[in-house]
Amino acid sequence: MKLVLTIAGRNILRHKGKSAVIGVILFTGAFLMTVGNGVISGMAAGIEKNIIGGFMGDLVLISDAQKSDNILLDMMGTAIEPVTSYKKIKEILAAQSYVRNFLPVGKNLAMVLDENSATPGFAYLIGVDFAEYRKMFPDNFAVIEGSYPARGERAVLFPDFARGEFYNFYNIWFVPEGGGVVKENLSKEALAAADTLPVSSSVVMLGMSSGINSTSDIRFPIRGIVRYRALNKIFGHFCLVDIESYRECLGYFTAADMAAQVPKEEKKLLGLEGADLDAMFGGEEMLVSGYKAAPRKIIAEKIAVKNSEDGVYNAVFIKLADGAAYKDAVARLNKALAEAGTGVHAITWNKASGPMGSMALIIKSALFLFVTLLFCVAVIIIVNTLTMSALERASEIGMMRAIGAHKTFIAGMFLGETAILSSLFGVGGILAGIAAVRVIPLLHITTANDMLQLLYGGNYFNPLLSLPGVALTVLQLLVVTIIAALYPMRVAGNITPLDAISRD
Amino acid sequence: MNIIEIKALRKDYALGNTIVPALRGVDLAVREGDFMSIIGPSGSGKTTLLNVIGCIDFATAGSVAVGGRDITSLSDRQITDIRLNKIGFIFQTFNLIPVLNIIENIEFPLLLMKKSAAEARKRADKLIEEVGLKEYAVHRPAELSGGQRQRVAIARALVTNPDIVLADEPTANLDSVTGASILELMRQMNEIEKTTFIFSTHDAAVLKYARRIVKIKDGLIEQDPVAA
Repeated sequence: MKLVLTIAGRNILRHKGKSAVIGVILFTGAFLMTVGNGVISGMAAGIEKNIIGGFMGDLVLISDAQKSDNILLDMMGTAIEPVTSYKKIKEILAAQSYVRNFLPVGKNLAMVLDENSATPGFAYLIGVDFAEYRKMFPDNFAVIEGSYPARGERAVLFPDFARGEFYNFYNIWFVPEGGGVVKENLSKEALAAADTLPVSSSVVMLGMSSGINSTSDIRFPIRGIVRYRALNKIFGHFCLVDIESYRECLGYFTAADMAAQVPKEEKKLLGLEGADLDAMFGGEEMLVSGYKAAPRKIIAEKIAVKNSEDGVYNAVFIKLADGAAYKDAVARLNKALAEAGTGVHAITWNKASGPMGSMALIIKSALFLFVTLLFCVAVIIIVNTLTMSALERASEIGMMRAIGAHKTFIAGMFLGETAILSSLFGVGGILAGIAAVRVIPLLHITTANDMLQLLYGGNYFNPLLSLPGVALTVLQLLVVTIIAALYPMRVAGNITPLDAISRD
Repeated sequence: MNIIEIKALRKDYALGNTIVPALRGVDLAVREGDFMSIIGPSGSGKTTLLNVIGCIDFATAGSVAVGGRDITSLSDRQITDIRLNKIGFIFQTFNLIPVLNIIENIEFPLLLMKKSAAEARKRADKLIEEVGLKEYAVHRPAELSGGQRQRVAIARALVTNPDIVLADEPTANLDSVTGASILELMRQMNEIEKTTFIFSTHDAAVLKYARRIVKIKDGLIEQDPVAA
């Protein structure tokens, strides 16, 4: 072994030009592989942190009647089928050991109406119980203006990205109730017209649904303006609204409807839609002096808050316990849900997030393809260079064979040369790659491009290297070394002593 | 005792569709410790005969026994082992390993035999002294003259104590004085190490060193004092 490595090492120094070519390729390959793996790891970690941890969890329950799995970013705004059995679902989810947390949500598209404009804008609505939402996603956004709504409060949390878009569309700058214009949060366009900026602290939205439901236009008081900590240009299309207003907006049964036991469709049939039945029999003014009954509306809302889970949702976001496998969790959960006749089933987050989930997979695949291509190019160049080197040294190799060197010795010599070059330049490339992966996040490289944000795994380009990632690069380098050395080893091993003599 | 026995040896080369016979039925026996020269004009078949004896080339027909073992039907591994353990080579163009220094070149075959580094170095030291190049031990081949390189090749050929040393035109690339000194050295080594030497040449001046001269012409032995 020592002899093989001695000869291999000295041959590297003897053929400095060729060694440098192979070395540069190995260095570049190892560097790009390390950074590429870092980008893939960073993206995976970013997606996990930002989408799974901050937006929708690991799994999503949707109605069996739902045709498309893509419920999050359907660009056509197709209505999401309602889920009406949440109470039953809740019991099942609570009994699953691999489920860490879950949140029922309403999710659909709404038209944003403006009295001064005939053309409506659109916004995605996510209807939630604000308190439960905060428990599920405690730090996915910051309230940059206004405040977070109280439990059961009817309000909307408007994203600042959508606010900028709607300003460009309607020329209205949304601000929270009781709040004013905060100059540092103005978009470039709004800042240019800061002195005469038309503002509004509420927004009228009309739900877009399908089937038998009748949607309603609801005026939502704006409680706060939020900015997502990551992927703000993607998540910033979603307005968080209280679940009861959401249901009213989409024409679903609300919890108050359920409490009153008068289905909305029946009210409609009776022509009593929007009517206050109690008011027909008397108001507060009819009560005897000194006796104060709670207004009907307040009672209904209190019931609604208490029993908000009675109403309709569109999906349930689920976070799994650490270490739970998706495939197993989906199978077990779907079995339990089907047995209980809930009419819903579980899908993974990347199916539910449609193009966003697919794009992450496409970017990952593209990077993998890039690294594989890099391998192939590196292997081809190294194979050619080493094969040329073997043929140029045919006389020397043939002489070694003549005086008793076995084919394995000659092959070992070439493997040794490649291994030494890989060790020096490859490890150098890996170390440089590790340094680059560490330095890149410090540069706070940002992008305004939605897809690049996915690649970045967040608002900043944040490649991440784990020990398995480095081990993967070392393994890839090892594979390149062995594959690149195989053919030249074979060529060199097949050189005969006669070749040495006939070439003299 | 015969160290080499060749019977009815034929060697043909294919040149396109034409078969060119290089050896056309050679019978030869070489005694242990012989110092023998094979002479003949260019293209007579002397290099081919040496290559077949040295297990570098293969016979088309006939038998070749080295040290009593028929080498015509052995595997590559077995043939390589015979070259390593039984035969030493001296080439016309010296053929030293350029990246190894002189002492490393000499001990190289011993390291291939898996001898310990210390044992290999001890034997190489002895040989380098015998060929008079001790002061060049750590020099690279490129730093030596042709005659000095051929001395190194002789030391390397002898380092494994082979049964036979084969030298193909060992003085062809040397001036006459250096060539004579190389042949003198080979003869000394033949006497000291008792190794059988077979060398090819077409230089008449070389013949005075040989104890036995075999003449070959057109692939056939034309004159062999032993056979006669």
